[in-house]
Amino acid sequence: MANRIAVQPTNRRRFLEQWGGGLGSIALMHMLGRESEAARPDLGGGLHHRAKAKRVVQLFMSGAASQCDMYDYKPLLVQRNGEKFDPGGKVELFQSDPGPVMKSPWDWRQHGESGKWMSGLVPHLAECVDEMAFFPSMISKSNVHGPATFMQNTGFVLPGFPSMGAWISYGLGTLTDDLPSFVVLPDSRGFAPNGPSNHSAGFLPAQHQGTMIRAGRENPIHDLFPPSNADFISPESEAAGLELLESLNRRHMVGREGDTRLEARIQSYEMAARLQVTAPQVMDLSGESAATKKLYGLDDPITEDFGLRCLVARRLLERGVRFVQVWSGADNGFPRRNWDSHEDLKKDHGLMGKSMDKPSAALIHDLRERGLLEDTVVYWTTEFGRMPCSQGNKGRDHNPFTFTSWLAGGGIQGGTVYGASDEWSYKAADKPIYCYDLHATVLHLLGIDHTRLTYRHNGIDRRLTDVHGHVIEDVLA
Amino acid sequence: MKSGLGIRLDDPSQGDFLARSPLRLGLLLSVLALAVPVVSRAATDFAQDILPILEARCQACHPASGGQANLALVSRESILVGGKSGPAINPGNPDSSLLMSKVSGSKPLMPPVGDPLSADQVDLLRAWIAEGAPGNGDQTSLDRTWWSFRPLVQPPVPESGDARAVNEIDRFVAARLAEHGLKPSPAADRSTLIRRLTFDLHGLPPEPDAIKAFLNDPRPDAYARLVDHLLASPRYGERWGRHWLDVAHYGESHGYDKDKARRNSWPYRDYVIRSFNDDKPYPRFIREQLAGDILWPSAAEGLIATGFIAAGPWDYVGHAELREGTKDKRLARLLDRDDMVAATMSTFNSLTVHCARCHDHKFDPIRQADYYALQAVFAGVDRAEQPYFDDPELHGRTRKLWFEMGAVEQDLLVYASKIEQAKSDEIEEIDRRKYVLGEESADLLPKVGEVDTPETIARREEISKEIKGLDEERQQLALELLDPADRDRYESLSDRLDGLRSEFEELPEPRFVYSAARYFETHGRFTPAWTPRPVHVLAKGSIEAPGDPASPGAVGAVPGLAARFDLDAPADEGAARVALAEWLAHPSNPLTWRSIVNRVWHYHFGRGIVDSPNDFGRMGSEPTHPGLLDWLAADFRDSGCSLKSLHRKILLSATYRQTSAPDPQRAKIDASNRFLWRMNRTRLDAEAVRDAVLAVAAQLDLTMGGPSAEHFRFKDDHSPIYDYARFDVTSPAARRRSVYRFLVRSVQDPFMESLDCADPSLLVPKRSSTLTAIQALALLNDPLMVEQSRRFAARLQETAESVEDQIDRAIWLALGRPANAEERQAVAEHAERHGLENAARLLLNSNEFIFVD
Repeated sequence: MANRIAVQPTNRRRFLEQWGGGLGSIALMHMLGRESEAARPDLGGGLHHRAKAKRVVQLFMSGAASQCDMYDYKPLLVQRNGEKFDPGGKVELFQSDPGPVMKSPWDWRQHGESGKWMSGLVPHLAECVDEMAFFPSMISKSNVHGPATFMQNTGFVLPGFPSMGAWISYGLGTLTDDLPSFVVLPDSRGFAPNGPSNHSAGFLPAQHQGTMIRAGRENPIHDLFPPSNADFISPESEAAGLELLESLNRRHMVGREGDTRLEARIQSYEMAARLQVTAPQVMDLSGESAATKKLYGLDDPITEDFGLRCLVARRLLERGVRFVQVWSGADNGFPRRNWDSHEDLKKDHGLMGKSMDKPSAALIHDLRERGLLEDTVVYWTTEFGRMPCSQGNKGRDHNPFTFTSWLAGGGIQGGTVYGASDEWSYKAADKPIYCYDLHATVLHLLGIDHTRLTYRHNGIDRRLTDVHGHVIEDVLA
Repeated sequence: MKSGLGIRLDDPSQGDFLARSPLRLGLLLSVLALAVPVVSRAATDFAQDILPILEARCQACHPASGGQANLALVSRESILVGGKSGPAINPGNPDSSLLMSKVSGSKPLMPPVGDPLSADQVDLLRAWIAEGAPGNGDQTSLDRTWWSFRPLVQPPVPESGDARAVNEIDRFVAARLAEHGLKPSPAADRSTLIRRLTFDLHGLPPEPDAIKAFLNDPRPDAYARLVDHLLASPRYGERWGRHWLDVAHYGESHGYDKDKARRNSWPYRDYVIRSFNDDKPYPRFIREQLAGDILWPSAAEGLIATGFIAAGPWDYVGHAELREGTKDKRLARLLDRDDMVAATMSTFNSLTVHCARCHDHKFDPIRQADYYALQAVFAGVDRAEQPYFDDPELHGRTRKLWFEMGAVEQDLLVYASKIEQAKSDEIEEIDRRKYVLGEESADLLPKVGEVDTPETIARREEISKEIKGLDEERQQLALELLDPADRDRYESLSDRLDGLRSEFEELPEPRFVYSAARYFETHGRFTPAWTPRPVHVLAKGSIEAPGDPASPGAVGAVPGLAARFDLDAPADEGAARVALAEWLAHPSNPLTWRSIVNRVWHYHFGRGIVDSPNDFGRMGSEPTHPGLLDWLAADFRDSGCSLKSLHRKILLSATYRQTSAPDPQRAKIDASNRFLWRMNRTRLDAEAVRDAVLAVAAQLDLTMGGPSAEHFRFKDDHSPIYDYARFDVTSPAARRRSVYRFLVRSVQDPFMESLDCADPSLLVPKRSSTLTAIQALALLNDPLMVEQSRRFAARLQETAESVEDQIDRAIWLALGRPANAEERQAVAEHAERHGLENAARLLLNSNEFIFVD
């Protein structure tokens, strides 16, 4: 058997230069993520400046979660409940004419030292307010689920652009050779609007795309193992086969020296074999205590599904995954299976909220307990908000003019609120911001200058933040 | 050699010199630096002071070809000649110069778009005229032009001392190599060449019999015969058509939310394959895809070709659900046209005009006004299904009938709106009842965690019937309220429409193609434009800041072609598309020819002469072999525009036939092989991998064309579900060539995606070629790979008795060469111990299978 050649970093760099075509130094940094960290210890893993965080977990509420039923308390809605909604000016809604003002079906209370108002829909998150920075003046450039979901993920209302996780993977590379750098945990009921193109690598190289892990499935990653009917494949045949494959490939390299892709491909099979070991380990919750499982709500059918994914997210983050995206909610069809509560907000948001609240809070607690919260950013968002007036008496239509996102964890000043919506929670009023600003802020925490993380595609040096975005300094710890 | 800017560019050798000269670059930079005029200088200089102003502010409407008022503002001479109103200047006398009267004063007439000229700019023009308008008469903007915008003139072929040079390509390449002290590599052996050629032209491995025949062919032109043989096969169109589909971002679902399937896109895919196989002249290929429906109204082919315009993504919710007049609806349409413009100009001219949506292009001579002129070309078309017949007579008749239906429907619009607005107590009561029913129906929709019950479904259907009944009732009531003349007109038009519709129904069953569509059946709130939708230049690209209206046109900086189209009927959207097609297919458009020749080169060598095939601007790469690019482009344009001739020229060159073997000495000078001292080794693309696996296992179904093979389980829904995990890989659909698979936008086939297949939402001028763990897992474990390993093993067992013979055969089939003793033994041993299937699977995972030398 041929000797295994230890691949030197410089070789890997050379091979990238050759097959990477026009890729710049950042792409090199990607493959060499850990080496770059060693090379610039002063940056703490950052690309352009010192990083405060190393990884991100994004909780994405598909279908548009209502700001004015969770975080954005407006006494005026209680006072004017049932009256004509008249905020001044024409009200243009997505699919209906504006109904009367509708107060939230949930009561509001202040929480924590910061005294943040939270609704009764999210009692567990209410206990975390002193860890969180709220952004109640978010605006979406689209009032339509598809484009708006693209926007929150990629910064563009069009398909074909890289997701935030892909950009971070491209910029910072991986913290582990055993797992992909960007992992997506989709809702078990199906994909959000736009499907997996929400977490694609767009024009970035394919290794940066979100790898979907389906918690609870036999083959949690597509093609991780041979199909069950592959009776001719056994662990022994596999081990011997991979050894023989490597020796054939090494023999093939004779006379083809200098083409580092050939070596890279050999290595890709080694990485694949490691992934076959680590992925099932991540999914195996037998080592988790009963208390932890209870914390995430695995003992309750309503919270079990999202809770399982939040727990798996923590296990992925622990093992060095850079960016984990956890979805709450699928597409906008019927029966309702996401946050798009046009018909009956109390019922639909009631269930979605309950399924999300406890596991999300558990994730924050658990990360803190394990010392991971200090360098992990928790990023909660949705594609846009919902109207303070009713649709058909019980539902709420889309509201692109204001919605709420929040951040917690590494480098974030908890117990803060940046900006405000108007007295109705109808439009952003004070310090209106877009996802560009949140993206810029998260990249900043990771040690990346969002204006300098670029990739040239069809004539434009593309950025996650397009030509926009400001780091929101006010919420930085 | 004349100095600097005085060089005439119609002397090609000097043009080539200019492209490369560092001196030239220095001049260019200094000119650019002076683009902001310095007024304190004693004397003005035409090239340095005046031309930049004309380029920036005048030439979009006054290009070399004349344009507005037949006035070209491109050279001193053209200014003196002037236009409709006579000479533009009176040298020595600024105050009596027409140009000054237009651009100065408190409210200057010119330029009509954007801010007036700055005071400094006006002063410079004034000073220049006052000085007697000095300057060389020949000086034009072209001297300062970026390489890709220069007129295309065929340069002479360099002399070459390389005895192996077969054709012009080799002489150009040899000259470039010599400049860097490099020499070409020797030719590859025949078994390498046939594998290279067959994958290149067919995307398939050569059959062992074909390899043996070629190895033993004693004729001196054996290689040329092989090239011709491969080019004549329909497999060629399947392979090269797929390249075109990458560029056109062809997909078969809408993308976005509610990613509906497009079941009738495939005729365009077949059209592309057919066009390559028929070696359709390239200008015709351009014209058909942009305006075939107009130029060849009786040919189904013409309509089908406009599937190009419709190929990209489409926001179903934005078009079919949003209400007319809303901001998001306008945004959806803006972005829809943006996609058409970007695809057209990237594909045919390698220009990034879409960068000029919010402002003038920051790097290239593309004005924001040009961009919106291009949007105006597509302002009257949408993407929708259109009926067609292969029979020309029937097709022509149907198209006529189709547009008659459209015209009557358009005439009916005004009455429909009157009917909708009619009010009476009874009507209001009906509207109220409809509202209540609508609420009840919405209330009956299942909530989170609920399931739909037969009772609620039945009640919702009942409600929808009731609403339909109320609508009819309302219609009657509203009609009675109309003024009698309106009612009569409405009724006669309705009858006419009914008549036309039944005439249409009586035709034989038409087929449908998803293509460009001026008229189509209204679907929800997706309605035809009827007349081109107004397009305005949008400040910062914002739909809330419309500026001047835009009329159809293209890019002013392209020499020799009008920037705006002179249309007889401005509302005729078809004429606008024809004009754009002619503009693109024009022999004077230098970008068109450079673009296509470079694309072809890119696919043969794995890298274009310009490494950014969709961007010939300043943000793109510059040509490694500018003379060769221009020679090939001019040759292609001037000798029949045949792609097969171009392939033949490239494939027969010694440059293409070189070995890909390494050479440390040469690599020291040019490690990335920019100058082509050897052939590039390439990783097979996704389609070639999949097809090769099927071919090696003798499972490939070579049926051509027709509806796409669906490699997923489809479940229709609000957002349809495309489930690849539940596809039966033993079903016949699995065996079709990859070019015929159904291309979903929201969820890509994970196997193909792992191999970097083109994302149909993106314009893909070149594929990435990654090597990842996920890809390794796909090649090892995907059900398709497992199944085909089984089939491959079965094939081997059928044809050979001993395991050694089976392995010999396997290596011939998969790798195209005889096995050597050592590997035969190792693989046979593995087969004996773990089964032939595993040995077969191993070979399909080997580097040698995946790479082509």
